[in-house]
Amino acid sequence: MTAPVLNLQLHEGRKSYQAGETLSGEYRVASCDLGDLRAIEISVLWYTEGKGDEDLAVHYFERLSLDDSQVLDLERPRRFSTVLPNSPLSYEGVIVKICWCVRARLFLARGREVVEERLFQLGDVPAARAVLP
Amino acid sequence: MSDDSASSSRSQSPSNPFSSRNVRPGAIPFLFAADESLAQLAGRLQTARWWGEIVGPHGSGKSALLASLTPQLAAAGRRSLHISLHDGQRNLRAFADDLSTIDRQSVVIVDGYEQLSWLSRWRLKRLCRQKDCGLLVTSHTPVGLPRLYTMQPTLETAVRIVAGLVDLQRGPIQRADVERLLALRAGNLREVLFDLYDLYEERRAPRA
Repeated sequence: MTAPVLNLQLHEGRKSYQAGETLSGEYRVASCDLGDLRAIEISVLWYTEGKGDEDLAVHYFERLSLDDSQVLDLERPRRFSTVLPNSPLSYEGVIVKICWCVRARLFLARGREVVEERLFQLGDVPAARAVLP
Repeated sequence: MSDDSASSSRSQSPSNPFSSRNVRPGAIPFLFAADESLAQLAGRLQTARWWGEIVGPHGSGKSALLASLTPQLAAAGRRSLHISLHDGQRNLRAFADDLSTIDRQSVVIVDGYEQLSWLSRWRLKRLCRQKDCGLLVTSHTPVGLPRLYTMQPTLETAVRIVAGLVDLQRGPIQRADVERLLALRAGNLREVLFDLYDLYEERRAPRA
């Protein structure tokens, strides 16, 4: 059985944006049996990374459920776009990092899931470096 | 255990491979010795009518083993009630509502069971017997339940875990670092992973 393929692209292959800019992209699903598909979710979100507890917030979210997919041609690219907020800006700190990404999730029968992520930079806050003793 | 229910890919990330999201219980599959498996462990737990204890010191992987076992319980038709105790919680009052819902299909999982008072343990065991449900706990010392697993973190286990996160041949972290930190932390794998987070930040190449 061929595994479904989820193809996710940001327009023009961009990897960095400024606050207030429009992020846009598209995704498509290949090799997927419609009978297996439960839902597709696309989200634009930020999350923190580090040694401690992590935080996350979703800026943009869209879900296509099974009912929608029955009338969809999944191999046709589906577009999404959103205006990016003023904060939080991407930050690559030593103790904590703030990461932005576009995440697409394909929910399949029997609890299977396919996830694709595209990380991008929001703003241009310089990365921090560890200070050695 | 390999989790084949999800596949994922991620574009280039500034991520530190030792950040919480990558090393929290459940993010790393529990690594058994060659002659052991998760299925065997789940079988032993079932034989013991879903009662058991996982014993080991701080940071030895008890919570990671619980996280790996939980899907096995679900596959066997058991409903897990997961209680994680912190900061010397002596009783289960905060979980009273959840405990009121358990039935014979349930397995009450208590991570950090040694923190409970004698009376709280006795009440919980009595409740689980009355409801004919399972009781699976982690503890630093034996607590009188059927022994399911004794954690014995070794250098080889630590190296296998770290090798699953970074390339020990070519990356900024090497086997000697794991060996040194494991000795420094007296076998506490969780502390070793925290230390490796800092070491990775110190040694990683500056971002262009």
